[in-house]
Amino acid sequence: MRGADYVVKRSIFALVTVWVAVTLNFILFRLLPGSSVSGLRCQACTPQFKEALIKEYGLDKSKWQQYVTYLGNLLHGDLGYSQVNNIPVWDAIKEPILNTLPMVLVGTLISVVLGVFCGILAAWRRGTLTADKLNTWTALAFYAAPTQWLGLLVVFYVAANLGLPVAGIRSPDLGILSTPSTWEVVSDRARHLILPALTLGIGLYGEYAIVVRSSMLETLGEDYVLTARAKGLANWQIIWKHGLRNAMLPLVTLLALSVGYIVAGAIVVEDVFSYPGIGLATIDAIDHRDYAVLQGIFLVLTIAVIFSNFVADLLYFKLDPRVTT
Amino acid sequence: MSTRRPLIALVAAALVVMTAAGCGTGASNSTSGSAGTVKKGGILNIGTTSGIDSLNPFIAIESQAYNAFVMEYPQLVQYGPGIKLEGDWATSWKVSNGGKTYTFHLKPGGKWSDGVPLTAEDAAWTGNTIIKYKDGASAVLAAALTHVKDMQAPNPTTLVVNYDQPVGNALPQLEQFWVLPKHVWDKQVGNNGKDLKTYRPEQHLPTVAAGPYTITSYAEKGTTVFKPNPYFYGPKSNAAAVALTYYTNSTSMIADLQAGTVDFVDQVPFDAASSVKNSGTFNVDEGAGAEVTNITFNSNPAKPKNRELLDPKVKEALEYATNRQQIAKTVFQGFAFPWANLISKQSQGAGWVNPAVKPLPYDIAKANQILDGLGYMRGSNGIREVPATTGKYAQPAHQMSYDMMVPTSLDFSGQREFDIIANDWAKIGVKINFQNGGDSQQAYAIETAGNYTKFDMALWDWVGYIDPDFMLSVLTRPQWFSWSDTGYSNPAYDAEYIKQGTLTDFKQRQALVWKMEQQAYDQRQYIQLVNEELVTANAKSWTGFYPQLGAYCKCYYTSPHQS
Repeated sequence: MRGADYVVKRSIFALVTVWVAVTLNFILFRLLPGSSVSGLRCQACTPQFKEALIKEYGLDKSKWQQYVTYLGNLLHGDLGYSQVNNIPVWDAIKEPILNTLPMVLVGTLISVVLGVFCGILAAWRRGTLTADKLNTWTALAFYAAPTQWLGLLVVFYVAANLGLPVAGIRSPDLGILSTPSTWEVVSDRARHLILPALTLGIGLYGEYAIVVRSSMLETLGEDYVLTARAKGLANWQIIWKHGLRNAMLPLVTLLALSVGYIVAGAIVVEDVFSYPGIGLATIDAIDHRDYAVLQGIFLVLTIAVIFSNFVADLLYFKLDPRVTT
Repeated sequence: MSTRRPLIALVAAALVVMTAAGCGTGASNSTSGSAGTVKKGGILNIGTTSGIDSLNPFIAIESQAYNAFVMEYPQLVQYGPGIKLEGDWATSWKVSNGGKTYTFHLKPGGKWSDGVPLTAEDAAWTGNTIIKYKDGASAVLAAALTHVKDMQAPNPTTLVVNYDQPVGNALPQLEQFWVLPKHVWDKQVGNNGKDLKTYRPEQHLPTVAAGPYTITSYAEKGTTVFKPNPYFYGPKSNAAAVALTYYTNSTSMIADLQAGTVDFVDQVPFDAASSVKNSGTFNVDEGAGAEVTNITFNSNPAKPKNRELLDPKVKEALEYATNRQQIAKTVFQGFAFPWANLISKQSQGAGWVNPAVKPLPYDIAKANQILDGLGYMRGSNGIREVPATTGKYAQPAHQMSYDMMVPTSLDFSGQREFDIIANDWAKIGVKINFQNGGDSQQAYAIETAGNYTKFDMALWDWVGYIDPDFMLSVLTRPQWFSWSDTGYSNPAYDAEYIKQGTLTDFKQRQALVWKMEQQAYDQRQYIQLVNEELVTANAKSWTGFYPQLGAYCKCYYTSPHQS
């Protein structure tokens, strides 16, 4: 298969996936009982008032008409209006996404670095009690543990000892009585990011550790590694140049696939640490039955997952020549 | 179900002033009070698990929003120490015209935070606007102005409130009336008043306020900052600013309290209350709160299924089989006490709690005896069976097995409370199944679905005001789809409700209110379970708190100061 054909095929596949996801996104929310209007509770929320709102939001139209309108708006880049905050959906989710991104990136970095290190160590010292078994069991235990429980452990045992904040994204009193410097703002933001990212990192690193261990065991058993040993190369050269590089492919796949899981984990982590990211925004939208915002969030996340898989496909194309043969 | 002001749970029936520092002491940098010198300055960090959902009074629901309005906007009167009504913006008032006219004399010299003078015209405009759109956009605020015909401002410091008939609770009702800046809000009355609901003060910070604070930074799920309004007509804030931070969970909040990041927690979670109380690290205050948990029964007379639950005798049996003591001990860790009245203990000091309304003792044998007497005998699986009935609401024979809806938005463990009740009711042959109700909005949608015909019972709570008017109103037909969570409909009760609001003689009104409380208890639209206690905690580096006065008194924020 030629390279261009491969890219076109993967692109079409990604676009179809997006359309299916968009459609499912629409259908799922309409299958739920009630609506953002029926759930309203206030002294002014008479049936007549709700009726008017239903018309205003177009919820009185047939599902098909709503679907066509939804698709049309999406094609124009219009994610709709938040029915709770009365602002464009993108405005409602932009800031939470920007808050979540650095936390998820740092968390992923922690998990990858820790996972790769532990995976390599376990593979290199295969069969030993501490470097392999204990190391792997620990990684698996963290991976199996509920993320919110890990978060609470971090709150109890790490936060106080390190003097790190356990809630929010900014110190409550920062900038109230004086204008903070850029450095103060950045360092304050970083301090608030550490514990959620750490929780995310230790909750996910086990996955990488297992995959890297398995993949490294495979490559370390190859003849070219034996040759490298025979040539007298240093251990780090064997691991880095001949072992890890050839064991990277599954890691790339895993990274792409885990984008969705990372976001799911972020929801729980953000709930524990009151971190105002996309996870809290999702919970908030669910609480308020703000369908438009929920659809917007799910759409953005879906596209992120599909896009990362698409990027992984392209990386495979570059990393593994067998893909196009 | 909580009212919009769960913080009113902060109010104790017998107010114990935590510190001797006076509410709203002087404005100098160092003021001598009965407790000594008041140290000014510092940022008061408050932790909460309930955020401010909106800064627009026409749409806000959450308790913290109502507390924010108290801090931002002038009130004619407010509740002060001792749960006594006192003047806020008003210095004095007189009643004339046979109780139909209230004339308030207002403190002069106040200004809005943008420098515009605060005058009686602002109050008259706010009141008349609420009245004008009471059936639409302003309905949520209109309850405070029931029977108000209009408001007039003959001069900048005099406000005249005219009623269409004498009312017995004018001042308690007016305590819930916030004066808005006319020069800001009169541009928002377009679209037949609907624009009042779409205006977002949080998008125009700092807010224009004439209370002790203006809000300079707002985040529903983050930190909201209250900075002193230099033009406030009353006692100035002791703190240089107040930062209210929202926590998604109590664990993080208590951790921050221990770390010194938070200075005051307005409601310590029950599972942490003992450890916080015994730690000796904080000042802890506890007292009877305003929140009463209950089992809510669908009381719609047209309820099609499981109609035996409309029978007060059946619910009496269920009450006998409900162990309130265990609920108080297990679910609330002892920070609650058995309670049976629709009105919470907070109203006892004001004379609104009928002492004859008391919880039944826990008595399984008595409960079984009642159900046996009603002919609901146990089936082979131990669950009682209800014989088939005929007539307009005929129903087939069925077991006494019901869904109990439990919202997720409770401030206690609903699952644990459900388990205790389910276990006890199983002993009398009644089975209940846990139904997840979701958040309060979803839960309310479940209750009201099909015009109150789809649900049987729920595990929820109410948080009332000191005046009983609101809590009595939730059982009226006009409150369907607004505050009614039972679907109860009884024209005679509705008439009594209207009447109690117009009785100007305290004794007469008290007698009628007590009668209505007894009726509610006898009919058992609810089985009230326990009255929660309120536990607050503050760092020892701060003092001067009035934890019971949240959402009632401006001193809730202005009084605390550094030790």
